[in-house]
Amino acid sequence: MALTDYRADAMRCTRCSYCKWIPFDLVRSARFAKGCPSVEANSFHAYSGGGRLITMLSLMDERSEVTEKVVDVAFKCQLCGNCDVACKMCRYDMEVLAALSEFRAHLVEMDRVPDAYRPLIERTRAALAGRGKSPAERNAWADGLDLRDASREQVDVLFFPGCKYSLEESLRETVRLQAKVLLASGLTVGIIPEAGCCGGLSARMGYREEATHSSQNLLAQWAAARVATVVTPCADCRHMFTRVYPGLDGASPVPEVLHTVELVDRLVKDGRLELTTPVPMTVTYHDPCHLGRQGEPYVPWEGVEKKIYGQAVVYDPPRPRYNGAKGVYDAPRDVLAAIPGLELVEMERSREAAWCCGAGGACREAYPEYSAWAAGERLEEAEATGAAALVSACSRCELNFAEATAASGSDLEVHDVLELVWRALGNGREAS
Amino acid sequence: MPAPALNPDAYRALEDIVGAANVSNDPAVLDGYAFQYLAELVRPENSPYMPRPAAVVLPASTQEVQQVVLLANRHGLKIKPTGTGWYFFNAPIKEEDLTLQLDMRRMNRILEIDERNMFAVVEPYVIHAQLHAEALKRGLSINIPGSGCSTSIVASACAYAGQGPHTYFMGGNAENVLGMEWVTPEGEIVRTGSLGSGDGWFCSEGPGPSVRGICRGSIGSRGGMGVYTKCAVKLGPNFGPREWHVGGTLPAYRLPLADTMRAYTVAVPTWDAWADAYYEIYDNEIGYVFHRQFNLAGADLAPAFWLMYNDHTKTLGDVPEIAARDDVRKLAEEMRISFQIVLAGRSVADIELQDEILNAILDEVGGHKVERFCEPDMAEFTNIYLQRLGHKHVNFVWAGGYIGSWMQFGTPDWVKGYVPTAAAGLERDAAGGLLVQCGGDAMMGSGSGLPGGGEMGLEQFVSYDSADLESTRAAARHMEDAVKDAAAIGYPPGKEFMYLQMGWSDEQIWEALANSTQPQVFRYQRQIKEAFDPNDVGDRMYPTLPRDVGQGGEVGTPAP
Repeated sequence: MALTDYRADAMRCTRCSYCKWIPFDLVRSARFAKGCPSVEANSFHAYSGGGRLITMLSLMDERSEVTEKVVDVAFKCQLCGNCDVACKMCRYDMEVLAALSEFRAHLVEMDRVPDAYRPLIERTRAALAGRGKSPAERNAWADGLDLRDASREQVDVLFFPGCKYSLEESLRETVRLQAKVLLASGLTVGIIPEAGCCGGLSARMGYREEATHSSQNLLAQWAAARVATVVTPCADCRHMFTRVYPGLDGASPVPEVLHTVELVDRLVKDGRLELTTPVPMTVTYHDPCHLGRQGEPYVPWEGVEKKIYGQAVVYDPPRPRYNGAKGVYDAPRDVLAAIPGLELVEMERSREAAWCCGAGGACREAYPEYSAWAAGERLEEAEATGAAALVSACSRCELNFAEATAASGSDLEVHDVLELVWRALGNGREAS
Repeated sequence: MPAPALNPDAYRALEDIVGAANVSNDPAVLDGYAFQYLAELVRPENSPYMPRPAAVVLPASTQEVQQVVLLANRHGLKIKPTGTGWYFFNAPIKEEDLTLQLDMRRMNRILEIDERNMFAVVEPYVIHAQLHAEALKRGLSINIPGSGCSTSIVASACAYAGQGPHTYFMGGNAENVLGMEWVTPEGEIVRTGSLGSGDGWFCSEGPGPSVRGICRGSIGSRGGMGVYTKCAVKLGPNFGPREWHVGGTLPAYRLPLADTMRAYTVAVPTWDAWADAYYEIYDNEIGYVFHRQFNLAGADLAPAFWLMYNDHTKTLGDVPEIAARDDVRKLAEEMRISFQIVLAGRSVADIELQDEILNAILDEVGGHKVERFCEPDMAEFTNIYLQRLGHKHVNFVWAGGYIGSWMQFGTPDWVKGYVPTAAAGLERDAAGGLLVQCGGDAMMGSGSGLPGGGEMGLEQFVSYDSADLESTRAAARHMEDAVKDAAAIGYPPGKEFMYLQMGWSDEQIWEALANSTQPQVFRYQRQIKEAFDPNDVGDRMYPTLPRDVGQGGEVGTPAP
């Protein structure tokens, strides 16, 4: 794809500003009606989904040039997908989120990126060249756990923690509990010690070549190990595996991929995990963007635009419709509902209308203050529910929320869903 | 294409007023304001861009607005405030003007909701969806205009007409506006109505300066006469639940009907019966939200379209197959002349009575409730669609472009008189395949533009592909055709005439104003402009007629 492939989308934008809000039918208050962190923080229309389409069009029309401001417009965005969902309330011919990703890739090709990206991508390139973290460093989190080497023996599930869970010290306890929950079900669980990055961060930044390279490495490892099922606790990784990898040209087939909450939901419903210990707590659940509105699986499509009834725009064959309605929303809620004593209260913006944690789109790395502000906005919404804890299912969400609570002095606890599952399995808070 | 150059001193002064982060002259950022809905129909070479502003400014307070306006006066700049920014009225009009675009989005607070006196005070970037949600919690509701809940209340109430499906019950925003805080084009802060005498927001006409008509002008100043920084609007009663439990799947969300509410699609056999039904509804004072909504997709295709829309697995490409089904073809015939109405009762007995009255009206005019569209799924969809108006940009669903033509306001009998011509005109203009062919009558409009009924209009929805030059040009030609079609049957020009003027020279517009039915209005408005905007910082969206153009002297003096 190229920028020009989105010219028609830009021309068909009507500047309605739906992209700035959650779907209007779901608005329950003035305070939490807003859906786009980027335009809320940066105000100019260019920082909205539609505004970025116009910015792209202006560049294509050679009415403007790439300036520092344009770089800021393109990259100071979580790629959370709210704009795409809100737009699709009314429009079947717009692919806003895909266009925004293309915008970044275009600027990467021009080497016009935020300065913060350069060391990040150099680190990725070094890892792809074999100069990254050693397997011992990446897998230190698993020390002492009964995890098999899936490159040497068959396992029921391959556990893929992702970079954040593998390397962030503050997430160490969480990732170990996640593995322990899976082990508690009786499944054989393995890791591939040499596994690298899923390519997610490179993809979000717009570095497609590096993302593809990472993807191919992983797929080759999985193929060699004859992996049947991959389970990951990271929403970003799951998104790459289920939405991006299947569309890669010439790549090995993608095995079944599940998020840990999806697998645990199955295990609970199958009776292989019995959640019997009460966890008396009121919690609210934050839908990670990549598990929720971007959690719909990839559907292959190759086709063309055509017109019916004179000018009505349709696609032949029908183009898959990613509108956020069928993301992974029920599995985490069903798991939480299965925990005795736990009460789930919803935030106003939930499921496809969820406000981003702020970390997405490489904003945590490139624009930490802005990323933290977005997390703070979500904390306020969580606090408004009266919940004692904000629960999610993504490493980046957990990191951002944990830091935001620390910075704000909030009393909210921040947990991964599986931490509470671990407690419900009869393990105390310090059991790990 | 360089942006018009702004004096560096003026730019620095703007930074001093609003902070450097809240002003920009980056060309790409400015194009976010130049790119506007409908521009491609009137601009040279069908450009989607209106003229680019010299800078965009984001004020956070009335005082900052005032300082920006004073600066514009000092530096010979024009100002153009914009709320949510939908419509080409929001953009600068002339390439040669140095225009400061005031994006009002930082002024986004609901300042007060007075439940007892049923009004709310809002800043310019509060949208209808926000106030509607807050009003519901208090057992109240608001008029949401036809532009939908995504739009600014202040812009709708102070700078445009603000009519829509709720207006029949709750009044239009132009009449619901109470006190206003207005920064005049000279930079004076004027508080209107009771607010101006320190008595609060409750009344638009006093005690205090009653200048609503002066600052709004004949149809709303559309950014051409200063900046509105706050206003109060009336609230209406809500008969449904205070908390919505929304079901359904995106995009077709559903709102279960309370036992005091009903949502119907009603069909009638002829346009005469349609007009009779409207009069009976007015006379019997039933109905809460009242609109001819679903027909926007076209009389041939509307049932298929909405059935598709209510199935999240389907897309526009599935419409032909759905439309070809026998049951849907019958439905298209059944719904050819139809409208939607939401009834709301103060009690179950009240709603039952209203339902009986509606049934009696339908019996009288030979109409009926459309069974398929009154089943729970479609009724609940109709309920949320009309109450929240959060799907209004389905207007653009067919191809990305839509132009509303006709939309002359009058009695139902008067409106029905232009429907056949409007429908035939669309059939004719779409015959070549450059406009969406959806059945000729794609006419949509509110049940009444006046509270209690009496006056309404229907707008012809003409869909075109805004990414296709030939289709865009066909839509532009349709506007010209609609003006001629109206003249041929003795009707005045409609909405498209106002749109066409955006592409005209001043002289062309003056000629049109001079030949309008009430040219004195525009002479009077010139005198207002001379008094309030001596430095001409507002643009021509506040239309005026010069002294020496057309017949007729000054207001208050006899015509020569």
